[in-house]
Amino acid sequence: MTMVEFFSFLPYGKYAFYVWFAYSISAVTIIILFISAKRNHSNTLLSLSNKYLRNK
Amino acid sequence: MWKWIQRQASPKVFYQTCNRLIPWFFWPFISLLMLGLYWSLVISPADYQQGDGYRIIFIHVPSAILSMMVYAIMAVAGGIGLIWQIKMAEVVAKVSAPIGAAFTIIALASGAIWGKPMWGAWWVWDARLTSELILLFLYLAYMSLNSAFDNPRTAAKSSSILAIVGLINLPIIHYSVKWWNTLHQGYSVGTGGIKDTDMQIALALMFLASILLYVLLVSIKARTEVLIREQNSSWVKEEVRSLIS
Repeated sequence: MTMVEFFSFLPYGKYAFYVWFAYSISAVTIIILFISAKRNHSNTLLSLSNKYLRNK
Repeated sequence: MWKWIQRQASPKVFYQTCNRLIPWFFWPFISLLMLGLYWSLVISPADYQQGDGYRIIFIHVPSAILSMMVYAIMAVAGGIGLIWQIKMAEVVAKVSAPIGAAFTIIALASGAIWGKPMWGAWWVWDARLTSELILLFLYLAYMSLNSAFDNPRTAAKSSSILAIVGLINLPIIHYSVKWWNTLHQGYSVGTGGIKDTDMQIALALMFLASILLYVLLVSIKARTEVLIREQNSSWVKEEVRSLIS
């Protein structure tokens, strides 16, 4: 059984695998961008705070 | 308006603007994305030739347009930084690069996935695909060059020159389907593009959502970059203390 046949129970039948695969990759990429941007901001705040405390 | 733009050259004002923009862009982005997805996946009818497989267009086309638009913004911001020495323009250029690269990756990946059922191949060395791949390499080169220097001003100068030189690739990507006999279809927007109103609405919604996503991500990433660059300023010390406590 191919991936296309396996995922054909989803909406869009024989194209389901391709359509949902494309949308999933896009969603994952955007979520990674968001999480890394947010995490980077929090880490920067923490490291700057530690630096200021050390220099006090 | 012009005065407002000029005031953004100040790191503190720019940081505050970014902070203010985030909530204003987040909810409209989520709303437009949800509406766009509903229009793309539910309301839009199946294509008469490609069936439901064409629905990849609603992520492929906006991300492809954004990949070029972000590169143009990055090069223009880099140019502004080079000519007028505006540090905040350098920040915009720097933080735009990974976002543009992500849009390029989405465009290439969704295009490859769309190509398999329609062309029978994940990838062909077609002019449009190849020039878009070169765009990804340009983004990667920009990011590598920007991180290769310790001094952010030197990094911004050298990477901005690369970004400006790379602008030549944008008309090549855009006109590749006209200049060469490519396997890639012609323009999806405008003359010869999609005709169905629901499809056009879905595409417009997803495109607007992509623009909001870009502004949102630039705002989030730019404020971090401003904090790092201005870490010795008294206002940053106060800001960090107030946020941590």
